[in-house]
Amino acid sequence: MTTHFTNHGLSAAASREPNPQDAAHALALALCHEHAGFVLFFCSAEYPLSQLADALCQAFGELPVSGCTTAGELTPDGYDRGSIVAICFDRRLFAVETALIDDLEHFDLPTAQPLVDGLLERCRRQAVAPVNEHSFALTLLDGLSSREEQVLATLDAALGRIPSFGGSAGDDNHLTHTHVYANGRFHTRAAVVVMMNTRLPFEVFSTHHLEPLEHKLVVTAADRERRRVLELNGVPAAELYAALVGCSVEALAPPIFAQHPLAVHLGGQHYIRSIQRVNDDGSLSFYCAVENGIVLTAMQPTPLLTDLAHMLQRVEARLGEPAAIIGCDCFLRRMALESLGQLDQASTLLRQARVVGFNTYGEQHHGMHVNQTFTGVAFGALPTP
Amino acid sequence: MALFQLPDSQQGDDIAALREENHRLRKVCTALMERVESGGSPNGAPYAAFERSVLLAEQVRERTDALHRTLDELSQVNARLLAANAEAHAANVSKTKFLAAVSHDLLQPLNAARLFASALETHALPESSQALVGHIGRSLKDVEGLLGTLVDISRLDAGVLHADKAPFAVSTLLDALAEEYRQVAGVRGLTLHYVPSRVWVESDLALLARVVRNFLSNAVRYTEHGHLLLGCRRRADGLEIMVGDTGPGIPEPQRKAIFLEFRRASQPQANHSRGLGLGLAIVDRISTMLDHPVTLASRLGHGSLFSILVPYAASCGALEGASSPVPSAQWGDDPLQGCVVWVVDDDPAITEGMQALLGSWGCRVRAAATVSALEAASDGERPAVLLVDYHLGEHRENGIDLAARLRRRYPGLATVVITANHEASLKRATREAGMHCLLKPLKPLRLKMLLGTLLEGR
Repeated sequence: MTTHFTNHGLSAAASREPNPQDAAHALALALCHEHAGFVLFFCSAEYPLSQLADALCQAFGELPVSGCTTAGELTPDGYDRGSIVAICFDRRLFAVETALIDDLEHFDLPTAQPLVDGLLERCRRQAVAPVNEHSFALTLLDGLSSREEQVLATLDAALGRIPSFGGSAGDDNHLTHTHVYANGRFHTRAAVVVMMNTRLPFEVFSTHHLEPLEHKLVVTAADRERRRVLELNGVPAAELYAALVGCSVEALAPPIFAQHPLAVHLGGQHYIRSIQRVNDDGSLSFYCAVENGIVLTAMQPTPLLTDLAHMLQRVEARLGEPAAIIGCDCFLRRMALESLGQLDQASTLLRQARVVGFNTYGEQHHGMHVNQTFTGVAFGALPTP
Repeated sequence: MALFQLPDSQQGDDIAALREENHRLRKVCTALMERVESGGSPNGAPYAAFERSVLLAEQVRERTDALHRTLDELSQVNARLLAANAEAHAANVSKTKFLAAVSHDLLQPLNAARLFASALETHALPESSQALVGHIGRSLKDVEGLLGTLVDISRLDAGVLHADKAPFAVSTLLDALAEEYRQVAGVRGLTLHYVPSRVWVESDLALLARVVRNFLSNAVRYTEHGHLLLGCRRRADGLEIMVGDTGPGIPEPQRKAIFLEFRRASQPQANHSRGLGLGLAIVDRISTMLDHPVTLASRLGHGSLFSILVPYAASCGALEGASSPVPSAQWGDDPLQGCVVWVVDDDPAITEGMQALLGSWGCRVRAAATVSALEAASDGERPAVLLVDYHLGEHRENGIDLAARLRRRYPGLATVVITANHEASLKRATREAGMHCLLKPLKPLRLKMLLGTLLEGR
């Protein structure tokens, strides 16, 4: 089963074929054309990945392909699971260059700058559009590497004004292995940087539907290497958080984390720090970096659908009807929608806006690793000369 | 629930609870103080990277952006420079090609005119007319010389001329030149001393001849009294061929400039003003191409000495007599008398001119554009010599192939391929096919000498 759309040099398709060969073949059939320049895909971690890698190589041949595993897919039909969705870029409108960062531990500025300069130079050579003002970077990171913050900050410094966004790969909430795909195979503890230079107008956006409450929690003990908060306000973290949301420690689970997030307040903005799980020692693991002495603000949700609809309206007001949107949607948002029974309504909004993407273990926006957001890039129609 | 564990109303009720609350507050205070005192988060920590991305990255971003813009501008400037350079190069190449093409096209009719003028000289004419014909011939020869120079320099610049080095006895070159310039110098009231040498050298004979000829022409042109010298000196790394004169000499500041195009030293005599000032520029290019260094020694008021250093031949005498384009054989009128010469050329003006010239030497000439036309006109006569144009039109076989075909029918047919193409590869091809090669514009004397040699050996 394959669904797809084609619009302004962008075509998207999805397949629910469980067999990797069949799925890859179906996608190639729907997407490949003589001007195809690059394919980006997001696939369920349920696929046998090495077989899928071989099948993709076979189906797409010389065409460069990048992607990652997900915690759910955003297909041309809306939310899905267990599928693979891909988007193909026409090289007459898009110059796309990719780089794999396979050593996240030692990714410093002297490494990042030549990498970014090389990507830009290779884009420039294809002469699709001026590189300044017409380029953005998409990052796909191993969502369990715990290196997102440093890699992103370094990359962002190298990118300068070039906007960037992205998502951390997921694995259908198993929290064991997440993968990014480049150069014909899947990688762990790695990141893929996709530089896109395009003639289409575009906008990188990020939104969330959460607002602050009065409660403040101070991290009084933390294990920064493992992204664990041991104590909040001098009390074991899980105990205090459970008291805050009004349930027992035993009842703490992802739907509650999605419903009652915490955030840091920096530079006038709230940035969600999502909880991953409760540990046996009463500590809380996070999807992002934590530190001793940071002040967390309790947050509460506002209607997600309303926020999503407003965000899409704002994008449409600026760009016109979107040609397509690549979206990185936190899997906790999806969980919140599922528990509210609003998944289908959200799917309708996303389908109408031609969103293709995946549910992440964290989003990236301008070098910041954030949680519980919907972050992405919207493409407008090709301006008529 | 607020930051504090106990609601305000319970305050003071329970000492133990208060103690507990106090303990927690201390922890909160400690954590906050540590963080404040560390100036945020410790460097290198993941949260610090996040925080910096939020708060500080703006400055970094602006600076990186400024750098990117500068790089962008630089690469644009670079691209423009490259484009301009490519354009200039293309313009230069097209100029060179144009010059080569024009010169080449001029050579064809000039060739015909020279043939007609030579033929005319053999006619019985009144004395006044003979002088006029002589002038025409000399003028044509000058034009030919100038054109030849232009062709040479354009070909050297276009890089299409390649050296065809072979061993030869330096005497084959210098004897002929000495003979030629002894007469030229005599006309100007100068004497030429020639010191012959029997040494073998390895070079491109035609290109080297060009260099020595230019030295000699300059010496004649600039020397008003005294004598010229042509000779050789054995050096460790080669034979130095020298041309000296007793002319005005060249002032030190000019010694480099005279090797540039269109430069001449002090104005030559009115009589010898023909020339483009390209002579030494050609010498310079050929010297570079052959890798034969040229030196100049000069004393003002005493004279100049130009020389070129040519490497010795590896094995002397290996090819003696095999490919000597300046045959030293004695020749007379007899061998040409009544011999059958076939001429194949697709240009009717040339075939006519050849017919007139060869006819005036007593040859029986059959000239046509094709072999079949030739054979039809020849009545089954066996040709002694074949003169064939190399380039016989767009879609036809070339002169070498045509000659090879004819030689299968007439084994041992002496063949001269005539071409305006100065490429060494063509010369080599004719040599390898056992044929001779003459360049356009055809020099009647050269042709006559060659025919004499070819027919005498029969």
